[in-house]
Amino acid sequence: MIDNIPPGLIMILGALLLPFLAHRAQAIGVLVLSLISMVVFWFTPESTFGQIELFGMTLEAIRIDRLSRLFGIVFHIAAIVSAIYALHVRDTRQHVAGIVYAGAAIGACCAGDLMTLFVYWELTALSSVFLVWASDNAQAYKAGMRYLIIQVASGVLLLSGAIMRFVETGSLEFTSLVTEGEPLSASAFLILFAFGIKCAFPLLHNWLQDSYPQATVSGTVFLSAFTTKLAVYSLIRGFAGFEPLIWIGCAMTLFPIVFAVIENDLRRVLAYSLNNQLGFMVVGIGIGTELAINGTVAHAFCHIIYKSLLFMSMGAVLFRVGTVKATELGGLHKSMPLTTIFCIIGAGAISGFPLLSGFISKSMIISAAAEEHQFWVWFVLLIASAGVMEHSGIKIPFFAFFAHDSGKRVKEAPANMLVAMAIAAFLCIALGVAYPVLYRMLPHPEIDYHPYTVTHVVTQLQLLMFAALAFVFLMKSGLYPAEQRATNLDTDWVYRRAVPAVISATRSIGRVLDRSLRDDGLVILKGFLSTANRNFNDKGVLGGTWSTSTMTFWATILLAICLVLYYL
Amino acid sequence: MTEPKPPSDPSWFEKPRNINLMIGVLVLVCVALVLADLFYENPHPHFPKWENVLGFQAWFGFIAFVIIVFLGRLLRVIVRRPEDYYDR
Repeated sequence: MIDNIPPGLIMILGALLLPFLAHRAQAIGVLVLSLISMVVFWFTPESTFGQIELFGMTLEAIRIDRLSRLFGIVFHIAAIVSAIYALHVRDTRQHVAGIVYAGAAIGACCAGDLMTLFVYWELTALSSVFLVWASDNAQAYKAGMRYLIIQVASGVLLLSGAIMRFVETGSLEFTSLVTEGEPLSASAFLILFAFGIKCAFPLLHNWLQDSYPQATVSGTVFLSAFTTKLAVYSLIRGFAGFEPLIWIGCAMTLFPIVFAVIENDLRRVLAYSLNNQLGFMVVGIGIGTELAINGTVAHAFCHIIYKSLLFMSMGAVLFRVGTVKATELGGLHKSMPLTTIFCIIGAGAISGFPLLSGFISKSMIISAAAEEHQFWVWFVLLIASAGVMEHSGIKIPFFAFFAHDSGKRVKEAPANMLVAMAIAAFLCIALGVAYPVLYRMLPHPEIDYHPYTVTHVVTQLQLLMFAALAFVFLMKSGLYPAEQRATNLDTDWVYRRAVPAVISATRSIGRVLDRSLRDDGLVILKGFLSTANRNFNDKGVLGGTWSTSTMTFWATILLAICLVLYYL
Repeated sequence: MTEPKPPSDPSWFEKPRNINLMIGVLVLVCVALVLADLFYENPHPHFPKWENVLGFQAWFGFIAFVIIVFLGRLLRVIVRRPEDYYDR
């Protein structure tokens, strides 16, 4: 019985009961459902089941193997931590949306075929948008709308790709879509594009920085865990070893860093940082060796936890202070000491300090690049590592909790938030220390990798400590750019400003052209009418009467011409 | 409107003496990390031309950090707009 329950279904169906509970009980309901689902999932054996025959297609609704198992587990952990973090929330929408979203993501990473994947894919989009809208302001509404359009577009591309693939191959099975030595088929390209949107590939990335900072305090924590990592999972499944991903990933690690340096909204900084971390994973997928895939999965696992920890700490600041603008924060370590400590642990984990989770996962990807002798990839990833230290390791904790004292004195975060952060912080440390537990669960457990070599620890510390030294140097010399209140343009400018401007310009040019064409037409018509009127009235050349002698003269001439022609 | 003055209750982290102390410790750690390079051998460097240079990742980290920050300043010149840009 237990091994026939589709993963995630307990959470999705359970969500339908939540609205009938009292407001106070809903949050607890979310937590209990997530815990039950976790236990059931843990004991579900590795297998493929849920075969459905539909319109001549064979669907394998559920596939649990090492890869989907690990993603399922970390998604459950994220759901449980987020549920604890949201225990104080009294908003039915957020609870229902949050748990349906988590359940859909878990279902998606256990989908055996592209059609099932598509259904869950769209469900994550439809449920998660309510976490943005729940902020209840005009900006969040508009950002949510843009988010929804982009996410649904990704699903539509996935559906088109799946249908084309069924026509080409007669199968909907979700396996690798890449054949070595051959270019991508059109269907695989569409599916890659769909995954790329959700994974925030360069130029397709901006929905992330646009929507996540607009979501509610607890909504962002949910959002940061599922959508993009579902895309990472799908890329591993479908496009492992697809080489162009290496360069896409490299671009993804680099450009968000520079945006993060100047961004004032600290949740937006975290969104850029999320983008940068996804870049590491995409590089790993592109390299595609067993070590690289292990590294990617491990990094996704650790990333979900430390990123939600960072979003939780900034959420706590937003909850208490009412803003996460760097310009308005500072000195909060005095009033929120525990949040400060948890944030620093998260910042250390993302930067890759030894004994914390980022160190044991990111290094695997970098080593995989080095082992393939990909010099430039290795070079770029080192730069990106220094960049992570900049925006997440230093900027987030420093400007929120230290820097210049803003004079704001607030209460420490609510107890449930602190508990959620404590669990995540504990996991960051546990993964960094007891890393073999995670390594044994990776897709290729036979790979022997040791993160804690002298070389590795020393060089990594050199990189991080000298980056910190550079920060001190830049701050002391006044070269570090001051925080400023500003909107920084990104690709969303294209569809928020450029396209509407082009459309309205085209419209007004059209209006001018239309008016002038019609005016000119009228002038020509009027001229024609007045010429006709002038020539055909009783005094005009053509309209007036002629004298009899003139008429006789011309008739005679005509007759003469006829006569001559007849005899010729 | 004048900003309310921050309460003057500097914590341990805000006293100039302690800030200098922290910077001093950081510098010492950095020096120690570079010197540490002399005491171990990288068993199999993948890019020996780079990795065998003394304190390679140290100066790499420093330079990369500074370049990133300066690129940020440059980017700000291009993309910076007033805060209510999209709401107007």
